[in-house]
Amino acid sequence: MLKLIGAALILFAGTMIGFQQAARLAARPRHIRTLLHTLQRLETEIGYGYTPLPEALERAAEHTPEPLAAMLKEAAKRLDDADGPSFRESWSRAIEGHWANSAMRSPEKAALIRLGSSLGISDREDQVKHLRLAMQQLKAEEDAARDDQERYEKLCKSLGVLVAALIVILIV
Amino acid sequence: MLERVTHLLPPEMAAVLGRLPDGVKDRLEEIRVREGRPLEIGFGGESRFAGEDGSLRHTPEQAYRPSSELCRKMLERMTNHSLYAMEEELRRGYITVSGGHRIGLCGRTVLERGAVRGIRDIGGFNIRIAREVVGAADGLLPQLADRTRGTIVSTLVLAPPQQGKTTLIRDLARSISYGLYAGSGGMRREGRKVAIVDERSEIAACVRGVPTFDVGPRTDVMDACPKAEGMMMMLRSMSPDVLVVDEIGHAEDAAALREAVHAGVSVIATAHARDLQDARDRPALRELIEEGAFAAFIELRRTAEGFRSRVLRPGPGALAREPTALQPERPLC
Repeated sequence: MLKLIGAALILFAGTMIGFQQAARLAARPRHIRTLLHTLQRLETEIGYGYTPLPEALERAAEHTPEPLAAMLKEAAKRLDDADGPSFRESWSRAIEGHWANSAMRSPEKAALIRLGSSLGISDREDQVKHLRLAMQQLKAEEDAARDDQERYEKLCKSLGVLVAALIVILIV
Repeated sequence: MLERVTHLLPPEMAAVLGRLPDGVKDRLEEIRVREGRPLEIGFGGESRFAGEDGSLRHTPEQAYRPSSELCRKMLERMTNHSLYAMEEELRRGYITVSGGHRIGLCGRTVLERGAVRGIRDIGGFNIRIAREVVGAADGLLPQLADRTRGTIVSTLVLAPPQQGKTTLIRDLARSISYGLYAGSGGMRREGRKVAIVDERSEIAACVRGVPTFDVGPRTDVMDACPKAEGMMMMLRSMSPDVLVVDEIGHAEDAAALREAVHAGVSVIATAHARDLQDARDRPALRELIEEGAFAAFIELRRTAEGFRSRVLRPGPGALAREPTALQPERPLC
């Protein structure tokens, strides 16, 4: 009886891990897409609205779902920190703090951090160029993420169940 | 004076300046920051290099040298992390921040079709701390009063840079707007409508269109507007009794000013010149002076005890000659 319960638990856990991995794979392109929308919004605020950066971030955050919204808000809020950080610092701190909540991976993070080192410190044209460059990189990542999703999503789900089944068989 | 601008400085720089002697901090006028080069401060008409421990020296060898990282941070703070929103200001070479402080910037300019479009690689800052001296014009107002019209006469304020011209006309505008122009004894009349054309955002120090200095209840401000155009706009739209402009000198300024004077508006203007004689050597000013556009002239001078002013009111017909009716010099504040 106890054995049966144990086996069921292992099977359940394995299945869940598989599903979770699959969900992450599915969430990644979605998160990249929202990030792209956010950057688009920032481009409008900066390029056409001349909105100051902290305000532009707040506004972009209002139209962005979590977890990205929290990241943007924190980046804006950290600018008021006592040690007077540069935008680059507060931006990367905010990204580090909230990255774990998103399904995105290191290439996206690198592109974002690179963008942070040029936001707010040059003229409008330059800002728009930097934003477009970051968007281009993210688009490439999005395509790759979609490929990954198609290829591995189902695989992950079945792999979870199968590995759990294998463990159960080995134990029994 | 220092605490008024600390919010603009990165913490490291604020700490260095915070160690300056109190007497210097109170009289601080300029902070000149140059990337990788000695920090210089100007106070009470003098300038010194500041060391990291807050000591002041004539020689630059042991002075504190701000790093490029620090300068970048400072620029970000001054521009609210949004350099791109300051394009118009960068084209003019300085930004005005809340409180009326003006920050001059130096770097490599970006050109577009031969005209300066902005500055990049900014490596030099000059923070000029604005001071509002309420009552600076009190002693002068009775001498400028036009009792028959119940207003004040057109006045030209003459002084070299950094002698308090802007401070003086700001207070003149405030007093006229409040109705304190009638003279001494606290007697008050009805305030006059004052229009300020503030091309360099120094007189009223507007932040998003709202003056941060007290320029009076009946005062309208056209911020960051070219003077000649602004004067015409104000005449057309705001029906001012008194028009206040800073630093006239171009031919088009003179034309607009003439227009205002003939429309029955009193004009208070400033110009860079040592004295009236000096002002006459400048073509645009000479024409105005000889036409009698101004009924009074104020010469400002800065001495160890403070600012001194002298009011000249040449009578009609005496305009082309040396003015004779000299008022005694009096301290301004």
